Amino acid sequence: MMQSSPLNLRRTVVLLGRLFLGATFVYAAYSKILHPTLILHPWFAFKFAVQANLANFAGEVETFKFVSAANAALLAHTLPFIELALGLLLLIGWRVRYWLTGVSLLLIVFLSVLTRAYLLHLDIKDCGCFATPEPLNGMTLVRDSVFLAAALLCTYCAFVEARKPHPWTATSSS
Amino acid sequence: MSRSYLARLTFALVFLSGALLVGCKSQSQSADNSPTPSAAAQTATGSAMPVSTPVSTPVTSPTQTEAAPVQAVPTKASQASAPPATPAPVPASTFAGIPDVDPHKTRGSKSAPIIMETFSDFQCPACKQLYMGTSRQLNDNYVATGKVFAIHRDFPLPGHAYSRVAARYGRAAAQLGRLEQVEQVLFENQEKWEQTGDVDGTVASVLSPADMTKIRALIKNPAIDAAIEKDLALGRTYAVNQTPTTIIHYKGQTYPVVGIVSYDVLHQFLDQLLRQ
Repeated sequence: MMQSSPLNLRRTVVLLGRLFLGATFVYAAYSKILHPTLILHPWFAFKFAVQANLANFAGEVETFKFVSAANAALLAHTLPFIELALGLLLLIGWRVRYWLTGVSLLLIVFLSVLTRAYLLHLDIKDCGCFATPEPLNGMTLVRDSVFLAAALLCTYCAFVEARKPHPWTATSSS
Repeated sequence: MSRSYLARLTFALVFLSGALLVGCKSQSQSADNSPTPSAAAQTATGSAMPVSTPVSTPVTSPTQTEAAPVQAVPTKASQASAPPATPAPVPASTFAGIPDVDPHKTRGSKSAPIIMETFSDFQCPACKQLYMGTSRQLNDNYVATGKVFAIHRDFPLPGHAYSRVAARYGRAAAQLGRLEQVEQVLFENQEKWEQTGDVDGTVASVLSPADMTKIRALIKNPAIDAAIEKDLALGRTYAVNQTPTTIIHYKGQTYPVVGIVSYDVLHQFLDQLLRQ
């Protein structure tokens, strides 16, 4: 019989954090893969739409001027799928602490690139973060910092909680 | 994985499906069999792309002001030398169910199986990229060979100070059969005239003085502005919200494509369409 709540403060933080970050990452991936051109059928048209969207995203990455055009294209064709995978894994909730670590690292990279572009006064008309166009400004950095802080907090809580037996399993084994 | 993880996986998939459905609802889908813009081509609503220019994003440069583009307005001297007879804008007609098709702003054979309408803004950097990187090859390999009938649409964005002026010049040049030269010079020198507003001088650099006098007279014709407004209105029916946006029509289906498409990607798609 269950004698303690499975949700203490840290678990609640991890639960809410992973749902929030997971949904955000899935939306970010959707924004890059299926936006702005969306043709669902036939298959070759869908493939064309995705290719067009990723090519556009590659153009956005290029404006940050931190990688060459070829690497920007490579990044644009892989990053959205990494975001999608991480987002789904966080929503599923399996081995959360590892995926939260990945999300934290990715957000550190994002924030570094954005900060660099901001400090260099690069003319970024759209940071390419989500579907809605937004020029790079201070608010973008604040928002990403909040995401990063949330991810780091969740990662910490997830690792701490992982050392303890889960309340349900602890109850059944005792 | 345990059953709880399967439940979470199910939840995640349901969540994702819901999110996709919500997104798709406002997205383009070419299920309509009519090539008319009413419902056939619904473009993305909340689109993103720094490379393409969204309607709602005001793009300003340090030298751009809200003042009228002084240098784009013809001088009194040029007005005085304008001949009395200037070609009147040709009324647009409906072609293959597509309204307001100005024959001067089309390229290729009308019997081409694919029709491509491109909503473009001369001051939009992404439109320049599409023109320089894709449109030229497309013209050579598809338009000139009778596979694609291309229609140019003006979609001057409100955030661009000289877009409307450039569109007027482009449309006036089209009436004289000089659209290609004017389009080329405007895109190639976009960075210059968007700083100075000297659309007139830019266009004059590739046209003869006689053509320029005609164009200067034409751009004052209200029909030119009315035609641009018609293109804008048509774009809104397609839910165009950024430039460039290309609407591809083929066998009654429409495929709206937003932003820059590389020639390699586009030609694969067009070849597959033609094989259908």
